[in-house]
Amino acid sequence: MVLLENDAFLTELTRLFQKCRTSGSVVITLKKYDGRTKPVPRKGHPETFEPADNKCLVRASEGKKKISTVVSTKEVIKFQMAYSNLLRAHIDGLKKKDKKSKGKKTKAT
Amino acid sequence: MPYYQTWEEFARAAEKLYLTDPMKVRVVLKYRHCDGNLCMKVTDDAVCLQYKTDQAQDVKKIEKLHGKLMRLMVSKETHSGSMETD
Repeated sequence: MVLLENDAFLTELTRLFQKCRTSGSVVITLKKYDGRTKPVPRKGHPETFEPADNKCLVRASEGKKKISTVVSTKEVIKFQMAYSNLLRAHIDGLKKKDKKSKGKKTKAT
Repeated sequence: MPYYQTWEEFARAAEKLYLTDPMKVRVVLKYRHCDGNLCMKVTDDAVCLQYKTDQAQDVKKIEKLHGKLMRLMVSKETHSGSMETD
């Protein structure tokens, strides 16, 4: 499992999507993360770890290759924007409905 | 494990499940371009909520829910004050 910086993760995620266009699936997992780097101590041992409350772990895989990144409050706005754009750009092989739906127009930046 | 038929119910149940125990819940998104479908799962290893779609219009909803849950995870509050209804 490769732990990357947010930007590198997004680049690699783009590559995963491109790789899976002909076959295979892209699996993305999102989970709250408290910053632990050591295993949970056994019963009776003091818990010296201070859990952080502002991080989440994002993992992606195409079956063989695995990547991951940690996002914290400071980075989430930027990451989430780039991540949403990425999903919308690549997840485009789905069926489109014919009838007009009144969807919100996204603001052009 | 049942797949939800409506997005509304799934989104509501997913957010509710997350708020009961943020540390246990994980969100999984699986996309298969070759089959043209997208599947989202929210689970705390006891309860499993799933939604599957092959419609392009659902991509935006799924992506928004993903973003919302991500923001919930990095925020220090235990309970989100404003509930956006999509």
